[in-house]
Amino acid sequence: MNSHVQSSERKTEALSPFSFSYFTRNWWGVPGFLLLIFVFLLPVCRLVWLSVSNGEEVGLMLYQEVLLEKATWRTIQNTIIITISSTVLSLVIGVGLAFTMAYMNIRAKKWLQLLIFLPFLIPSYISTLAWVQFFGGNGPIQFLFNESVNLYSMGGIIFVLGLSHYPLVYLMSVEVFRRIPRELKYAASTSGASGGVVFRKVILPMALPGIASGGILAFLSNIDNFGIPAFLGIPANIRVLSTYIYEQIIGYGPSAFSRAAVLSVILGVIALIGTVVQWAIIRKSNVSETTARDTEPRYYLTRGWRNVAESALWIFLLLTTLVPLIVMASTSFIRAYGLSLSWENLSLKNYRYLLFEDAKTGSAIGNSVTLALATMLICMVIGTVIAYIRFKKPSFFVKASEIIVTIPYALPGTVFALAIILMWLQPLPGVQPGVYGTIWILLIAYITRFTVLQMRGSLTAFSQIDPSMEEAARTSGARAYVKWKSILFPLLMPGVLSGAALVFLTALTELTVSSLLWSSGSETIGVVIFSFEQAGYSTYSTAFSTLIVTAVLTMGILFVLFEKIWKKRVMKSDSN
Amino acid sequence: MRKWMLVLMFGILMAFAAGCGSKESSETSNASEDTNNTEAKVEGSLHFYTSQPDADAAKLVEGFQAKYPDVKVETFRSGTEEVISKIKAEKMAGKIQADVLLVADAVTFESLKEEDMLQAYETEEATEIPSELIDPDHTYFGTKVMATGLVVNTENVKEMPTSWNALTSKEVKGKIIMPSPLYSGAAAYNLGVFTRQDTFGWDFYKNIAANDVTVTKGNGDVLKGVAGGEKDYGMIVDYLVTRAKAEGSPVELIYPEEGVPVITEPIGIMKDAQNVEAAKAFVDFVLSEDGQKLAAELGYTPIRKGIEAPEGLKTIDEIKVLSADVQELYKTRDADKKEFETVISE
Repeated sequence: MNSHVQSSERKTEALSPFSFSYFTRNWWGVPGFLLLIFVFLLPVCRLVWLSVSNGEEVGLMLYQEVLLEKATWRTIQNTIIITISSTVLSLVIGVGLAFTMAYMNIRAKKWLQLLIFLPFLIPSYISTLAWVQFFGGNGPIQFLFNESVNLYSMGGIIFVLGLSHYPLVYLMSVEVFRRIPRELKYAASTSGASGGVVFRKVILPMALPGIASGGILAFLSNIDNFGIPAFLGIPANIRVLSTYIYEQIIGYGPSAFSRAAVLSVILGVIALIGTVVQWAIIRKSNVSETTARDTEPRYYLTRGWRNVAESALWIFLLLTTLVPLIVMASTSFIRAYGLSLSWENLSLKNYRYLLFEDAKTGSAIGNSVTLALATMLICMVIGTVIAYIRFKKPSFFVKASEIIVTIPYALPGTVFALAIILMWLQPLPGVQPGVYGTIWILLIAYITRFTVLQMRGSLTAFSQIDPSMEEAARTSGARAYVKWKSILFPLLMPGVLSGAALVFLTALTELTVSSLLWSSGSETIGVVIFSFEQAGYSTYSTAFSTLIVTAVLTMGILFVLFEKIWKKRVMKSDSN
Repeated sequence: MRKWMLVLMFGILMAFAAGCGSKESSETSNASEDTNNTEAKVEGSLHFYTSQPDADAAKLVEGFQAKYPDVKVETFRSGTEEVISKIKAEKMAGKIQADVLLVADAVTFESLKEEDMLQAYETEEATEIPSELIDPDHTYFGTKVMATGLVVNTENVKEMPTSWNALTSKEVKGKIIMPSPLYSGAAAYNLGVFTRQDTFGWDFYKNIAANDVTVTKGNGDVLKGVAGGEKDYGMIVDYLVTRAKAEGSPVELIYPEEGVPVITEPIGIMKDAQNVEAAKAFVDFVLSEDGQKLAAELGYTPIRKGIEAPEGLKTIDEIKVLSADVQELYKTRDADKKEFETVISE
């Protein structure tokens, strides 16, 4: 461990980000950084400008006005309570699952993992509705315990948010758990540490980079979420900043826009504080370890306990993913909304309409898949490059880049989309690049918003690599190509890919940003679902969502099967 | 590493270059439109922003293009709030893209008119539309009639109500649902109209609030609540109910005897419209007999005199309309919303 501390100290001394030679050696660093500022920060700057200027004079009058209102403070308080509580819930579930899946001798892990991906694909209005019905007067909870739970409350919002975003924590931390050398656990155990102590003193600190990455993403997702607090909060008269901002935007009055901008800046500040706090936590545990990915179980449960653990996992995952899924699917097979689920009411007409009559469905799927793929690839490059530079030379500029890339994800979708319009219709005075009103604006918006997902994934991946590995490769004379191919790539791949999967799935069904930025010919899956939902065609929108979930699920199942077959063959050839 | 960065930057530069290139070409096409406009030829591209449901907007555009095949209509559809936000952001960024706008209610148009974003158009078709449903200065015109009535779940309620009192009687406590004026433009309009009637006033909303009303984001959620049986009565825009009923949902639409507030989904031409001729032709088409018949086919009550309403809906002559001064509604909208908040949270 000591050598690592030394190497990281050496790392810190070696960098001199403000020196002239730093810039000349890294001539591409300057335009790269400027480009980041242009794409990621400028849209936000336009928004900030809107909050301090009313066209004639510049000042903080609006801040004063907004901050003096009681409603603002109550909203901020709600936001903080809800965001922190739901993030804690996501962390507990996510870390618990990651720990179990990484270390326990549970069977059928691949299948369990597939279920964890599902919440990304189910629109939040569906899962919210599903939980309301589940806990409501006619649901199974009422049936079993003779008591219904009111989800239209703070607790309800926290519960649904926490359940919706725990997969972020899981995905970011499971790889880290697998990378922690098992020898450390043995060493601690033989020195007499109990299981609890080993977890607290050895495993937890080492897993922190991953946990914190997931925590940051969950925190940002919870703070900018609109759908869940809108559905559960409006009837209970509970406001959070994202819904309050939306109310301001639709206020139409001349100052409504600027007030929304002021509130967005407040939201951004809270998001930043949250990010920085979690950042400080990772800094404390700057441990990096290099081991091969280790998927063998470390804790062997007896048969009885394993059965208990497996049942608990299956019940939890099936409940949290299938309850919304079943509600969604059953709605989609019904002739008209509100009819009971009986034979004569079942029909495939919603699917027939989507697949054969509505021309938009096909083109929307095509657009969304193309956009999601392109976004994934570009984010993969940008996010991994930032993570790589941060890993090699963590200078002030790289840390700034990290924050710059994070902010667009923290803003509520509507506000972010407005900022993108303000920015890209005319990026510089007199310059109109003509991307607005085409599919390109969606690509730009997605990249701006989702790069952080990839960056966190890649950062986590890099945090698991000791810089000495790269040095060792270099001193042994490995050229860049070899170095990447045989050392860095295999080590990085799982982490980078989980980030990429996140970007892909999030971009595939993105809804709020797209609903402001699409144009004819570039409708996406989210836009079509939003349209159906607004026109009162819940049966169509649920059918469409069910189609998407089924398609992704099928791909996932094929992938798992393919991997199994492939492994078998490789193993066979090995034994030969 | 350098190569990576180079490739990335090159790629982005290319994207920029491509963007700039296409912008130039679109400018030249705009220029040719302008010269054609002087000859008053209806062609080129028309940017149509609307909050109508997707399928309806598509049918409308289809009908228009059958008549004017040379016009390419580019539709942007989203919620009224999203459409207006987009236009305002475009204005701030320096260039409004929309030519023609069709969104939920007159109050929204009044705010655009106030900011001088609309242009007047003297269309002949306007003579066939009830004059109280168009702007006296002819900057916007109602295109259909959407009344807000009561929706009732027919499985839970056997005796159909006839009055708005259905929402305030003690027996329905906890069984009623309404859209939030803070989110739905139509609901905000209704709030303004109801509170300005002697027979209703703020007491109406206070009594509803005392009855443990569930407030949802939009009209669609009200339909879901009542059709799904969670609630028995709701306040809702009419066409959603007749549509759901036609498909088989257990719901019934009631026009209460006291009268109903009506929104008109107005249409208007933006001041900075680039293709004014096509925009004018589009407005004419929407208000024309053909356009209005199309609206009726899609399930809406037409606004033009003498055209029949779809089954289950009443025509404008049969409805008792509750109304209030649009100018006043526009000016007091924020205050009304604030008041609603305090009423509902008590």
